[in-house]
Amino acid sequence: MRIPCPYCGDRDSQEFVYRGDAGPVRPDGEEGFFDYVYLRDNPAGPIREHWYHAQGCRSWIVVTRDTRSHAIHGATLAAEAAR
Amino acid sequence: MPDPFSAEPRNRLGIASVMARKGIAAAEICAALGARMPDRPLATFIGGRTVVGTGPGTWLVTEEDAAPDFAETLQQVLAGLASVSDQSGGYAVQRLSGPAARTVLQRGAAIDFHPTAFSTGSAATTVIAHIGIIMWQVDEQPTYDVAMFRSYSQSFRHWLNQTVAAL
Amino acid sequence: MSRSPNGGLIDRSKSLSFTFDGTSYSGFEGDTLASALVANDVRLIGRSFKYHRPRGILTAGSEEPNALITLRTGARAEPNTRATVTPLFDGLEATSQNRWPSLRFDAMAVNQLFAPIFVAGFYYKTFMWPAAFWEKLYEPLIRRAAGLGRLSMLPDPDHYDREHGFCDLLVIGGGPAGLAAALTAGRAGLRVILADEDVRPGGRLLAEHLEIDDTPGAAWAELVVAELTALPNVNVLGRTTVFGVYDGCEYAAVERLTDHLAHTYPAQPRQRLWKIVAKRAVLATGAIERPLVFGGNDRPGVMTTSAVSTYVNRFAALPGRRAVVFTASDSGWQTALDLLAAGVSVAAVIDPRETAPIAAEALLKAGADILLGARLCDAIGAPVRKVEVHLADGRRRRIACDLVAMGGGWNPAIGLGSNMGARPIWSDAAQSFLLDQTPPGFVAAGAAAGRLALHEALNDGVTQGAAAAEALGMPALKPRFAASDEPASGRPLWHVLGRGKAFVDFQHDVTDKDIALSAREGFVSIEHFKRYTTLGMATDQGKTSQLNGHALLAAATGKSIAEAGTILSRAPYQPVAIGLLAGPHRETHFRPERHTASHHWAIAQGATFVDAGQWKRAQWFARPGEKDWMETVNREVTMTRNGVGICDVSTLGKIDVHGPDAAALLDRLYINTFSTLSIGKARYGVMLRDDGIVMDDGTTTRLAEDSFFVTTTTVNAARVMQHIDYARHVLWPGLDVQATSVTEQWSTYAVAGPHSRALLAQALPGIDLSNEALPFMAAAKFRWNDAPARIFRLSFSGELAFEVSVPATHGDTLIRHLFEIGRTFDAVPYGTEALGVMRIEKGHLAGNELNGMTTAGDLGMARMMSKKKDFIGRVMAARPGLADLKRPSLVGLIPVDQSKQIRAGAHLLPPDAPRTTAYDQGYVTSACWSPTVGHAIALGLLVDGPNRHGERITVHDPVRGADVQAEVCNPVFVDPEGVRVRA
Repeated sequence: MRIPCPYCGDRDSQEFVYRGDAGPVRPDGEEGFFDYVYLRDNPAGPIREHWYHAQGCRSWIVVTRDTRSHAIHGATLAAEAAR
Repeated sequence: MPDPFSAEPRNRLGIASVMARKGIAAAEICAALGARMPDRPLATFIGGRTVVGTGPGTWLVTEEDAAPDFAETLQQVLAGLASVSDQSGGYAVQRLSGPAARTVLQRGAAIDFHPTAFSTGSAATTVIAHIGIIMWQVDEQPTYDVAMFRSYSQSFRHWLNQTVAAL
Repeated sequence: MSRSPNGGLIDRSKSLSFTFDGTSYSGFEGDTLASALVANDVRLIGRSFKYHRPRGILTAGSEEPNALITLRTGARAEPNTRATVTPLFDGLEATSQNRWPSLRFDAMAVNQLFAPIFVAGFYYKTFMWPAAFWEKLYEPLIRRAAGLGRLSMLPDPDHYDREHGFCDLLVIGGGPAGLAAALTAGRAGLRVILADEDVRPGGRLLAEHLEIDDTPGAAWAELVVAELTALPNVNVLGRTTVFGVYDGCEYAAVERLTDHLAHTYPAQPRQRLWKIVAKRAVLATGAIERPLVFGGNDRPGVMTTSAVSTYVNRFAALPGRRAVVFTASDSGWQTALDLLAAGVSVAAVIDPRETAPIAAEALLKAGADILLGARLCDAIGAPVRKVEVHLADGRRRRIACDLVAMGGGWNPAIGLGSNMGARPIWSDAAQSFLLDQTPPGFVAAGAAAGRLALHEALNDGVTQGAAAAEALGMPALKPRFAASDEPASGRPLWHVLGRGKAFVDFQHDVTDKDIALSAREGFVSIEHFKRYTTLGMATDQGKTSQLNGHALLAAATGKSIAEAGTILSRAPYQPVAIGLLAGPHRETHFRPERHTASHHWAIAQGATFVDAGQWKRAQWFARPGEKDWMETVNREVTMTRNGVGICDVSTLGKIDVHGPDAAALLDRLYINTFSTLSIGKARYGVMLRDDGIVMDDGTTTRLAEDSFFVTTTTVNAARVMQHIDYARHVLWPGLDVQATSVTEQWSTYAVAGPHSRALLAQALPGIDLSNEALPFMAAAKFRWNDAPARIFRLSFSGELAFEVSVPATHGDTLIRHLFEIGRTFDAVPYGTEALGVMRIEKGHLAGNELNGMTTAGDLGMARMMSKKKDFIGRVMAARPGLADLKRPSLVGLIPVDQSKQIRAGAHLLPPDAPRTTAYDQGYVTSACWSPTVGHAIALGLLVDGPNRHGERITVHDPVRGADVQAEVCNPVFVDPEGVRVRA
């Protein structure tokens, strides 16, 4: 599988570390941490995921991947996606 | 005819990683250093200095016959613009060159080294034989510099020897 | 010899000798092992998997299920090699398989008599009980009776290369469609890789009398290949099989570099694994001929018609003297003509259809019987001697022959196309399964797309080659080829009722009866059926058997073939050697090794090394005369604690964290506070995971207002770097903070022991090492041989200690220098084992305690958790279950009988409690013999431990079987007041 790193270009997926759903946002206060740490959806279809280009530019990126086909629809730098 | 392939270690290189401070554009760092700072995986050569884009706002700077305080000097020049970490001891750099160098690399890295895709000034941070590398093309001979963390030198050499023997 | 005097794509000037089962034969350059055996009249090649039936050669291609041999000998012996795709070389040695004592007389052939118990699912039913018999009796019996070749059980002496290919168009298969596609795209300037599994591209053009543009097919193929090879943008990979299709337009292929050679030079790789990224791919793998299912269809001498044509035309090898052709498609009639042309007499052509193609006339003239509307029901004899035919009028007739060519029609070779999970669908027009949904950019052409005629294949190739060019915006000229015409119709015939066993899957010995049984017993879903009968599960993945099997299942269950459906093919499409996938990464090179700068020096000192992640670390440095490692380690500890020891600690992870917000980031990463740390000072810190469990620990030094030097444990270095980047990029991208790994920049040596200051004062003159200038937990920069260097007053051993860091390029010089000076002080090198003993003596934590299950509270650091700030894991660590004071927490353990030892992993139970999990109160995390206190000591996690110092507890070790009584104590065994580190 190839992952389109926004900085490096298309790269072998072996260069990346997978984290998972990019949806959950770390809560600011005291509430919501259980959901943030443990609760995940498992959609059949496109999902935004965090991948780390560990063996490349060391960027955390957000990859949109279709779980049914593994088709990748795009990727952005996580630091930019967060803005 | 040049040798089909040669590999030479590049010693006495000053090496530093440079990371831009928040909101500092590559152009500002460029002005301070007098070198074009590519904001893409590219390498720029100015005299004995090479600047390689290794990530967003991140570069590897190498300098031939650098002074021992090369990185400290760089940090002073870039004060307030970028963070600098000395890597002169961290990376070992091998220079691979000759007509067969492209094939050798193509047997190691999952990067397209075809001249239309990767040429002089192209750079990549990737993996060869499970070893992380930063590499860039120096000329059209072709010549490539491959930087790896120093502790991997022997394992990299093993891969290289085996691959070259099989050419 | 059965070799035609002329013709064929063989070089008669190059004679090659080879042996089969020890007998010498000869063949020619250009032969396969199978064609050479055919030419030498060898018809019996092996014994079948289950029934040990004699088997010959069925096909002439990579789909071969029968002619499996062991190629070469010794460590290079490769079992289950298909003779049909083994290029002949001089000195080739092949051995038949699955027979005892010999191929001609096989004792296990009695299995045939017990055929009723060997039917589908037999072992599920027969060998059910008693369970104890399975391992000792049934399995060894079955394994001896059923099977294919045997592994040599020796390490693979070959090595394997790898290459990454990138192209606009990957053409899989070099037959007419593939060559046309590659030529069209190559001329348009596309980067093309053409992979063909044969020793020379051409596919069916090499085996049949076809013409393109008035040029014989093989010559045309040669011209096209010559043009392609000359194009710089085209890479023609011969002897290369694409065996897998993967996500993201990636393909795996094996290029066989030396398998066809008698001799290789030592560095020459045997095969090369290609990982190919292709924008588009054309599947031009052609079609595979179906056998017909009749009694004795597995007898030696029964072959597919395409195989017969290939042996006769391409290899000038005659597989018989008197042939019967049984075909349900026109291509079989061409085979009959090919046989005639080669001088083989054709006794009869049998076709279940009622009308004869044009070829019939010539055959009649040559004296062949043309039996239309007839069926061959039994082949008799091994090798075959005669056949029994069921004529159109109901009569039966026997015909003597020594060769049966059977042709059931053609299955497009679509296996690769279903690798990604899309199920092929039935096509009434093609009378076969075809690809429906294909992987992105992947399309079938020619026979693989069900278009069998030569002109269709050529047109398809041109169309797909041009489409690939147009998709990239490159104009393509579409060459036009004039192909010789050929009749190509057929009507499938799925089954003929006969007396003998009728095989569907030849390699797994699955018969028509097994399929009926599967249907009767309710295994009617195509996937259940596959597993129950094992049809299609042999090394050939059922290339010749699948459709016949599925058609028979459909018939038995009253469904249409479309309804019954078909199965998917998995990678590898053809068998590949494990060594190919491993490449250079095997044995000691399984993964890369990391060496510190002192590695060569340590080798010279006689170090024994241990793996710490990828690092090789010195474990201990044995001296002559020491009887075991324990004596060595005790000496290293004692000499360090009483004098001075030096240890390479360069492998610890090191990260520069810089920037105006560096302190703010560290405050959020660690449970304790770093923003209050003074410049030039170090502080121990602990970081948690999101769920509140401890992730890692280490010291962090502030080198400037905006510059911190973070250390991690050796094995967590990469994970902590990733964690810091996650915090920078995802959690708090607004912070102005930069981080980079500098693990490899610094060689760091711990110099520990009461004499460490004196040693360093000599080794590094000019540095003030006094308590005033460099107190405990302080750091300073200095220069060593002009290079930037650092010294830290840190101690893992609990002794007065320093850590000296220089650039790794200077690390070898520094270690030699330290020991040069250290001679005066009797300085001792110590390894990780002594390091471990000293840290247990001091109650310092390591991986055994940071085991992914412990909280900061468990490890006695609850008070380190700042209440004034947020940090990762704070909220979750406060969950009742994690904050419970009764959780197993860190204690020290001393055996009551001090001659006893305690072992890590043992469980802690109240004395006299039953040894059951219900009474389990914790476990031992680290244990050692302490030369400093003179008895065994241990660290453990015990329920409410800190409040139980002085209590007796049972250390229960059910695995190694020794219970020890221990006393619970403070986990710091040596110098609990910490006087030494501040000396």
